[in-house]
Amino acid sequence: MSLILENISRRIGRDWIVRHLQLEVAEGECLALLGPSGCGKSSTLRLIAGLDQPNEGRIYINGKDVTSVSPVNRRIGMVFQSYALFPHLTVAENLALGLRVRKISANDQYQRVASVLALMQLEDQANQRPAQLSGGQRQRVALARALLRDPLIYLLDEPMSNLDAQLREDLRPELRRLILKDGQPVVYVTHDQHEAMAMAHRIGVMRGGQIEQVGTPQELYHQPTSIFVASFIGRPQINLLPAESGIITAIRPEDLKLCTQGLSCQLIHREWLGTSQLWLLESSRGPLRIITTGDTSIPNDIQLTWLPEKEHKFDASSGLRCN
Amino acid sequence: MIQLLLLPAALLIALVFGIPLIRYCWLSVHANSVVTGLVAIPNHGANWLRLFNDERFWQDSAQTARFAFVSVSLELLLALAIALLLDQRWRGRGVVRAITLLPWALPTTVMALGWRWIFNTPYGPIEQLAVLFRLPPLNILSNPDITWLATVVGDVWKTTPFVALILLAGLQTIPNDLYEAFYLEGGNPRAAFFKVTLPLLQPYLLLGLLFRLAQAFGVFDLIQVMTGGGPASSTESLALYAYLNAMRFLDFGYSATVMIGSFLLLVFICLFSWLVIYQTRHLRGVFK
Repeated sequence: MSLILENISRRIGRDWIVRHLQLEVAEGECLALLGPSGCGKSSTLRLIAGLDQPNEGRIYINGKDVTSVSPVNRRIGMVFQSYALFPHLTVAENLALGLRVRKISANDQYQRVASVLALMQLEDQANQRPAQLSGGQRQRVALARALLRDPLIYLLDEPMSNLDAQLREDLRPELRRLILKDGQPVVYVTHDQHEAMAMAHRIGVMRGGQIEQVGTPQELYHQPTSIFVASFIGRPQINLLPAESGIITAIRPEDLKLCTQGLSCQLIHREWLGTSQLWLLESSRGPLRIITTGDTSIPNDIQLTWLPEKEHKFDASSGLRCN
Repeated sequence: MIQLLLLPAALLIALVFGIPLIRYCWLSVHANSVVTGLVAIPNHGANWLRLFNDERFWQDSAQTARFAFVSVSLELLLALAIALLLDQRWRGRGVVRAITLLPWALPTTVMALGWRWIFNTPYGPIEQLAVLFRLPPLNILSNPDITWLATVVGDVWKTTPFVALILLAGLQTIPNDLYEAFYLEGGNPRAAFFKVTLPLLQPYLLLGLLFRLAQAFGVFDLIQVMTGGGPASSTESLALYAYLNAMRFLDFGYSATVMIGSFLLLVFICLFSWLVIYQTRHLRGVFK
């Protein structure tokens, strides 16, 4: 099982929403599309689902060209950001609706709905309407519907964005287990880098309709190929030192070390984060963020240094990595 | 006492709705006409007894109900079609939306005069068409069997835009996601109409139905201008009959009885329609 996007582009009017997109998702792999709003990540998802048509390029599911195949025949299990549950139907009816329009026998319908309700621990909610459910339960119903679709690939569009922060963290392992259990490729759209890192094997960082970099979370963090990826991945944000002869040096806040002889700084602001603390500093090379351990006391004279191999160097005009 | 903030609104409703209603109830059990010298004298329910035996009242009730049900049904059907059309994206949709509302913006008396002219014998365009096709004169506004249909045409023309507006607002509350989810599940547009659009539009259909039923049941200006209730009282509505009792026969007591009687009928009809629709929602037979 696999999903391949080959040179996909989509245009609305004169604007390219998605441009020359190349992507491959393998069997059992979860790929997150990460980026700021308007970067084209949801548009890419809609292209894969067949809800929109690309102006250029081809889409392959399991090696078969599905570019001109209708959404229903692509067998997509999709979870919408809004969950798109039918408000006038109960949970069981919501789940059965798809089976019924696909003319599956009443007996099969009943058995499949019952088994997915059990799998998702939704038996007690079977006769409730979506409005009566909690956010987490609604998400499970939306996922149950996708599972019932018996899909070739899963597409998830910000499935966590309607949940509160604690619930999001709690649900991640379970969601990951359910979508990966049968080995279908998964495309997971999110704007939350922590979620992308927690959920995905690989992350594609998108910007302006294009993929800026694809890689494992570790690769993106340690070897960002552009200033955009370097600043988008990692919180607190990476420090960008002003360009010197056309080269911008970037250094992660945790790679900065206190020392007795180095770059001299003044403390502007301090945030205590528990096991660590974040200092905002002003230096002769601009503002800097540094992460220190929680018990570090502020010295009278703050001096900073870092290891040269921790430096990321980018070309100032193109923004691309050059070391 | 935060409830005190509701007082102005409550007072306003009491003033414009409560007081007239109480006054009419009071008047409906009094004789107050030219005979009594326009002084209210209690007559122990004689007005109500007269109402129950008043054939003209019952005939007007039947005519009003027929007018209301036929025109409201046609309006809902037409308005649904128009709303669906205006909900689609196409060039010039904004202009057409504005034009659609025009009949509703026109004063009823003006457009009723227009329809009277259109149906006029022998000079109106409809009769002229009959001449063109060598048909006998239609006499639409002087044939007691068909004149009411002409009033239905006028009412449908005038108020379909209003219902369409309500339904269009309802259509726009249905998120596009639901349709996309339905298509991904294998549904086609026809099934989407019956399984997604109609059920989710139901509250708006009900709203349009009740609004229009109440309005059509109290129809006055359209009938007064178009036919004056004729020919042979065949288009006379309850409101027109109450008006005649007060303003022509100067029998204010009995006019109030007709008014309250038709009000009770209307409440009954609205409750009944609401119950029928509310029940079908639970039976789920209609939309499933």
